[in-house]
Amino acid sequence: MTTPAIEFREVTKVYRKRLRGVEVAALTNASFSIFPGEVCAFLGPNGAGKTTSISMLMGFFFADSGEISVLGYPPGDVRAKSEIGFLPENFAFYKYLNARRLLQFHYALSGRSTENEDRVISDLLSKVKLAEFEKLKIGKYSRGMVQRLGVAQALLHDPKLLVLDEPTSGLDPTGRKDVRDLISSLRAAGKTVFLSSHLLSEVEQVCDRVIIISKGRVVQSGRMEELLGAADRVEILATSVPEELAARISEWGGAITKHDSAVTIVVPLERKRELAELLWQSGQDVIHILPLRSSLEDLYMRTVGSEGEQA
Amino acid sequence: MKKIKTLATSTLENFLHNRLLLLVLILALCLLTLMLFPLLAAKSRTTGENQQAMASMVLELISQVMSFSSGLGTLLAAWGAADAFNTELKSGTVLAIMARPVKRWEFLLGKYLGVMLFMGCYVLVMLALSYGMASLAGVHIQASPLVLIFYPMVRYAIYAAIAMFFATLTNTIATMGAIFVIAMGIDFVTPRSPAWMPKLAWLKTTLYYVLPSTNLLTEDRFLSLRQASLKQATWQQHAISLAYGLDFALIVLLFAMWSFHYRTLRED
Repeated sequence: MTTPAIEFREVTKVYRKRLRGVEVAALTNASFSIFPGEVCAFLGPNGAGKTTSISMLMGFFFADSGEISVLGYPPGDVRAKSEIGFLPENFAFYKYLNARRLLQFHYALSGRSTENEDRVISDLLSKVKLAEFEKLKIGKYSRGMVQRLGVAQALLHDPKLLVLDEPTSGLDPTGRKDVRDLISSLRAAGKTVFLSSHLLSEVEQVCDRVIIISKGRVVQSGRMEELLGAADRVEILATSVPEELAARISEWGGAITKHDSAVTIVVPLERKRELAELLWQSGQDVIHILPLRSSLEDLYMRTVGSEGEQA
Repeated sequence: MKKIKTLATSTLENFLHNRLLLLVLILALCLLTLMLFPLLAAKSRTTGENQQAMASMVLELISQVMSFSSGLGTLLAAWGAADAFNTELKSGTVLAIMARPVKRWEFLLGKYLGVMLFMGCYVLVMLALSYGMASLAGVHIQASPLVLIFYPMVRYAIYAAIAMFFATLTNTIATMGAIFVIAMGIDFVTPRSPAWMPKLAWLKTTLYYVLPSTNLLTEDRFLSLRQASLKQATWQQHAISLAYGLDFALIVLLFAMWSFHYRTLRED
């Protein structure tokens, strides 16, 4: 049996403010596994426990109970850390350094031989499109540039596992697409990626597995295709809908959206053929028929409910 | 070893980019430069008759300069150690560092050695300044330069280690408060200090053994004409004093490493 790249078993973490006598459960009996080669999205509203979980995974925090294993080692073990690339939620840096010097600093800490250092750093700077700014002090970088530099430092030592906390935060649409493409290329290279994000549509495009957490509890976990399921509805774009047909669509639980010169009709999958025939018989033209499945956003909203609207 | 060296040099570099720290050092240098004026005035008024008295006065002045730089050094060592640690935590730079295959004790040792590198530069600058002032005034500092380098370095090593230990428990301001209390406490528990209430004599004895005897490690003992009648210490005596100080610093640093091993790297 394959050893999970990341495994949480009944992990609980409670924040205690001893002086005020306040206790806040950040994580309660959380269990999940991510296997090598998977790209897993870690989703949840703000304050759900995502960053706490990632911090425990990296060995920054300690769990009150339960067990965590990363690449077969306990969190914080240097053998595991030498194979992990990590991008914190807010990547912090020494502002007086430039990109190359910061990467040199992290390269030295990664314990790798200095033989290929310059080439590796140059390649990475080109990959994240910072090559022309490598001599500019990082303090003068925009938020997006800092985030791209953070991604570069996470990839610096060619890790097996990438832990990315909000990797697209602060990036413009082009930057987000670059990160998405990067994650796809990492998946193709067989890397394991664990990422937290609020951008559900982007996550849906690149992830194999989803874990949704709410109020410190894992409320949904599984492979993307299992959770989203097969298409259960169909979208038909037609030139118009006669009144009597609109009433029947309503009875089937369908929905009609009118546009300037067409209407979009969404009905259950089993009504697809019947509706298309009725439209043709009534003299309407069917422009396209598109099977619809639940989106990650639908799943997220169903799972987390109104609390998720903050996300 | 490479990781510790990288952390130490980056800590030194952080200090050299710390504007507040540089401002304090510039102010201290200005203050010391101001002290050149009475020194030069004393030199110009020296005659054959008052030569000995003037030399004594000049050495006393240089001794005060060195005491000032020594006190400032203690403050810098403690503040530097606490700040080097807490700034990393507060800014979040520690997260990207500790995500690397760096052990917690390596991180702390790297930071500590960075502080000591900075203090080494400070000691050398202050030593050069003191010798320069003495040379300008035409007098000779009697203590060996090695004494003036190693004694303050060991004292700074102790205060930096204590500050680092407290920094693993609390913030920089509280750490400096604790350092201040300890520095004051050391003076109150030496055998030469006034006797305490008989009921608290045991506390005084305990504190005397627990707190570092930084009075023993002050280079002032070897400095001025006033104290020139002190018996010159042999190298074994120097070695024992310095070994005691380094031993104390090492133990406190080990406590700091132990404390850091069990703390979170983010504010809860």
